[in-house]
Amino acid sequence: MRGERHLRLGVTALVAACLACENPDAGQQPTAGGQSGVLLAASVDIPANYGIHDTFVRDGLAFVCAWNTGVMIYDVGNGIAGGSPHNPRLVSTYVTPGGEDHNAWWFWNPHTGEKKYLFVGQEGPGTIGARSLGDIHVLDVSDLAHPNEVASFHLDSAGTHNFWMDEDAQILYAAYYNQGVVALDVSGDLTGNLSSRLIDSIRPGGEGSTYTWGVQLLNGSLYAIDMLSGFWQLGLAGGKFSVLGGGDNVRERYSSDLAVGNNGFGYTGTWGSGRTTGIVGNAVKVWRLDASGTPALTDSIITAGIGTVSDIKLSPDGKLLMFTAERGPNAGFWFYSLKDPAKPTYVARYLVPSNSGGVHTGKFATIAGRLYAFGAQDPSPGSALLILDLTAIDQ
Amino acid sequence: MIRVAALALTGAWAPLTLLPAQAPTAKLSGQGILIYTAVDPIPGGGMLGEARLVQPILMLDLGASRGRLLLHTSANFEGWTMPNGELTPGAWGEGYIDRRHPHTYVHELMLSLPDLLGQLDGAARTTFSAGKGFVPFGTDDPMSRPVERFPVNHHLSQLLERAVAIVAVEAGPATVEASLFNGDEPTSPSDWPDLSRFGDSWAVRLTLRPGSGLEWQASTALVHSPEHPGGAGPDARKWSSSLLADRPIGSARFYGLAEWARTSEAEGAFVFHSVLLEAALTTGRHHPYYRFERTERPEETRTFDDPFRTVRPPLDNSLLGITRWSIHTAGYGVRLGTPARRLTLEPFVEVSFGQIATVGEGFFDPVAVYGSDTFRAVSIGLWLDWGMRGHRMGRYGVPMDMPGMPMQMSSRAR
Repeated sequence: MRGERHLRLGVTALVAACLACENPDAGQQPTAGGQSGVLLAASVDIPANYGIHDTFVRDGLAFVCAWNTGVMIYDVGNGIAGGSPHNPRLVSTYVTPGGEDHNAWWFWNPHTGEKKYLFVGQEGPGTIGARSLGDIHVLDVSDLAHPNEVASFHLDSAGTHNFWMDEDAQILYAAYYNQGVVALDVSGDLTGNLSSRLIDSIRPGGEGSTYTWGVQLLNGSLYAIDMLSGFWQLGLAGGKFSVLGGGDNVRERYSSDLAVGNNGFGYTGTWGSGRTTGIVGNAVKVWRLDASGTPALTDSIITAGIGTVSDIKLSPDGKLLMFTAERGPNAGFWFYSLKDPAKPTYVARYLVPSNSGGVHTGKFATIAGRLYAFGAQDPSPGSALLILDLTAIDQ
Repeated sequence: MIRVAALALTGAWAPLTLLPAQAPTAKLSGQGILIYTAVDPIPGGGMLGEARLVQPILMLDLGASRGRLLLHTSANFEGWTMPNGELTPGAWGEGYIDRRHPHTYVHELMLSLPDLLGQLDGAARTTFSAGKGFVPFGTDDPMSRPVERFPVNHHLSQLLERAVAIVAVEAGPATVEASLFNGDEPTSPSDWPDLSRFGDSWAVRLTLRPGSGLEWQASTALVHSPEHPGGAGPDARKWSSSLLADRPIGSARFYGLAEWARTSEAEGAFVFHSVLLEAALTTGRHHPYYRFERTERPEETRTFDDPFRTVRPPLDNSLLGITRWSIHTAGYGVRLGTPARRLTLEPFVEVSFGQIATVGEGFFDPVAVYGSDTFRAVSIGLWLDWGMRGHRMGRYGVPMDMPGMPMQMSSRAR
């Protein structure tokens, strides 16, 4: 019996020792915060089903792309569910086939007045720089409380990333990673397989050197930022893409997102590490667009304590440049004044420190006369939709 | 945590109180390796040397009711002795890269009911095991094999530290094990399996013993979202086959393992292969050994401040690329003291030379990350074994002993 007792005590001691090994830091949250007039309006927890990747905000509605949780539509001031930027109210959630919901664009057709279609990008598995998967899903959101998929677009051996729309021309432009840039005709009714709607595609860096992150249309030029081959000016005429300028102009880092404005300048981000030993993706490149729109590098903003510039946007009035950052103690939102668009000057930041995450994407939106930023906070430090009131710094 | 601890305590106490009084059996054992390892190059370039206590394990095996009830527990203290991992070129998994991750403090906590059906299954023997431990998939845990340095294929060839229920049927030379478990891998040494995910993954292993000292196994597993605890990550389909020899040759003892493994993730978007050959000879006090492996691994985004860590949970399903690690490792140890002693000490030296190649396309360039596409590593160490001989880590109930030498050889086949 004495042996049994010793055995029992031995097991109890073992379990007690293991209990004592519990991580004392578990549950602690990193310090977060803003400064100089950046106010947190709301933080909405998003299921950590990989979490939130991107947000499209229009007319007081935020379309939150939350990976396998699906597209979550929030009233953030529209009124249909009594929501506001300080009190977002969930209207509906729709999971597209396969999940991996990454980004969206709510199409307002100026010809028909319809606000029927929501394009959703699926970011499937990929080898960065080489292969990707993921379709474009088209949801009918005529009834915002009951979205329904009506069509999709698939390319073999390539997957979609960020969108831009020429709504007047009813063309959806999609960055398509290793396929470059794709243009789709989205006029009329959209049903079933949209493969016949493909207008054209282009790999601006050529096959093997193209992995396009984002696109933006400005004054007839389509700008594309490619992770491998840099910042491009493209054109679409007669149903055919062409390269108008730029390219092979960012070589020390991998590029990320872009924003071009009517101020005659473009801004692009950088991503990750490993292209040049010891250099990380902590740069925002400033480009002057000449009379024909061709970009020329003029300056860079280097931010210490980050590893990736994950998104770049210009405020609707063109006064502010926002970029979001990941991987580092200075991950979060960064805001610069564009009083001199060639030399952006620091205004404020809102940090969510994380060595592995931060803020994945950010979008501006004006709601009830106030300027807000909507950000996708990564699973580290905690998957959430962050809404910042920037009105005080929008000078 | 509390729930699982309560289960453990219940498992530890209840069998002895509820079952008919029988003389219980107990065995306490352990091991640890004091080691200094130098690697050139490490991520970022340059050389790094570190001294650590690795593989510190305490193991307690209890038996009751004439062996019809077994409780196997092992505590692993690597979370204390090597919280930042062990310098190991090519190692990856659980958020570590080029360092082997520490295992969880409660490494195993398995209750087994051997010969569950008695005479009902005829000549066969049916065992049911449940708790936290190894999934019946792949080859034996590297901790119970001759080479100190973990192979690159650890996460292709073993599944461990899961909440697992196993039914094993042994009939003649064949054993079939089928199991259900949770797919999520640990995220820290103090982590516990997510019990809500129990049953989202499965594994089956067939083991044949065609002759004395020979064993062949083939196994397959479907693991749901191993790297994303919430279940949002891609699934992994895994295959493994191996041939193990462990038999005397004259006055010496030979150990040999030939292994092949394949893991396909995200419905074939990423496929990783591994072949591994290792051998050891034990002759008197002397113990030379050798391993060659060629294994592919994913290259993922590393964290901001630590090139030995990767982003967890991952932000999407993308990889920077795939690399193939071809590594030769040779070592030599000499036992101090006699084999009969419960405490065994074995100083050893181990060297590795490897090449890193990219597989397919992708961003990842080994030269940009390491400054070279080859590496060297050397270790000197002292292996301490306290009664762990014969334990085959990761086998419960049925074939826990080495195939040719039941309960005789040490856990490191020395």
